[in-house]
Amino acid sequence: MAERAPIARSPISPAPPVTVEYGWEISARRTSADLRIMDCTPLVKILVRASIDGGVARALEVPFGRAACDERGVLVVGSGPGEWLLLAPPGAGTETVRRVEEVRDREIVSILDVTHGRALVRISGEEAVDLLAKVCGIDFSDEVTPDGTAFRSSVAKLTTDVVRDDQDGVRSYLLHCERSFGQYLFDSLHDAGDEFGIEIEGFAGSKALSQPG
Amino acid sequence: MILIPCPWCGPRNVSEFRYADEAKVRPDPNATTPERWRTYLYMRDNPAGWTTEKWFHRAGCRRYFTLERDTVSNAVRAAEASREV
Ligand SMILES: [Zn+2]
Repeated sequence: MAERAPIARSPISPAPPVTVEYGWEISARRTSADLRIMDCTPLVKILVRASIDGGVARALEVPFGRAACDERGVLVVGSGPGEWLLLAPPGAGTETVRRVEEVRDREIVSILDVTHGRALVRISGEEAVDLLAKVCGIDFSDEVTPDGTAFRSSVAKLTTDVVRDDQDGVRSYLLHCERSFGQYLFDSLHDAGDEFGIEIEGFAGSKALSQPG
Repeated sequence: MILIPCPWCGPRNVSEFRYADEAKVRPDPNATTPERWRTYLYMRDNPAGWTTEKWFHRAGCRRYFTLERDTVSNAVRAAEASREV
C-alpha cells in the first residue's frame, strides 16, 4: 500500500475546484477581478517574542508597526512591541525557526510555529481600502498607513493583525487571526467586498508572498 | 465614542481596550499587613474628576499602560510615563 502523506486543511473551506499542493488542500480557482481575496493560510507563520532592543530585535531589523521582506523572501512583521510574525513560503518553517534560534539574545526569546494555529487572508486591489474602511476603524490612506505598515486592531470586531504589503505597485493587505475565526474573517471580508466585485482566488505560493529583491 | 491614546498604537476606539483598575502601587506581599493587602485589592478612591488608571489594549499591542481620565466628563489624556504601569 502506498504511503500517504497527511494533508493540511485551512479553517477556511476552499472554493471549488479544490486541489492539493504544498501538502495543503487549497482552492485552484483563478480570477481576473481587480479586487481579490486569497486564503494564504498555507504560508508558514512563526511567532517570535523577545525584548524590544535585544539581539533578536536587531537581527530581525523590523520595528513594531512595520513589515519588510528579507533577502530570503520571508516577510518580517513587527506585530507588537517585542513581538514579530515571520511569514514564509510553505515548507520553510524549520529553516526560518533555525535562523532565529541562532541569534544570540541576553533575554528570554520564544519562537513558536503557529502555521496551523492561525488563519491568514490576503486582499488585493485598489478598492481594498474601501472594503477595509467598512470593517476597521483605522485610516487606510497612504499618509497614515503606507506600504509596509503593520498594526493590530479590530477588523469586523475581531482582533486581527493587518499588514499592508503591496505587490507590483498594487495595494494589498494581509490579515492574520486565530484559526477558529478564519472562516468568519474570510466571510466578513468577502461580504464587505461584494459591492466592489470581489472574487476568490486560490492559494498560489508566488502570489501569496512577494518575491525577494 | 472615547478615543484612548495608546502609547504604543496611537489613538484607538475605546472598544479595543479593557479598563484595568486605578493605578496604584502593589504592596510587597511578604511585608504587607492583611488590612493593607485588602485595601489594595478591593478599595477604590473613585474620585469625581481626574484620576490615573491602568488600561489594557486587548485588541492591539496587548500592553498595559497608564492613562488619566476625568470621571465626570470622560475626557482622557496620556499620562506621563504612560508605558510604565
Ligand atoms: Zn496599543
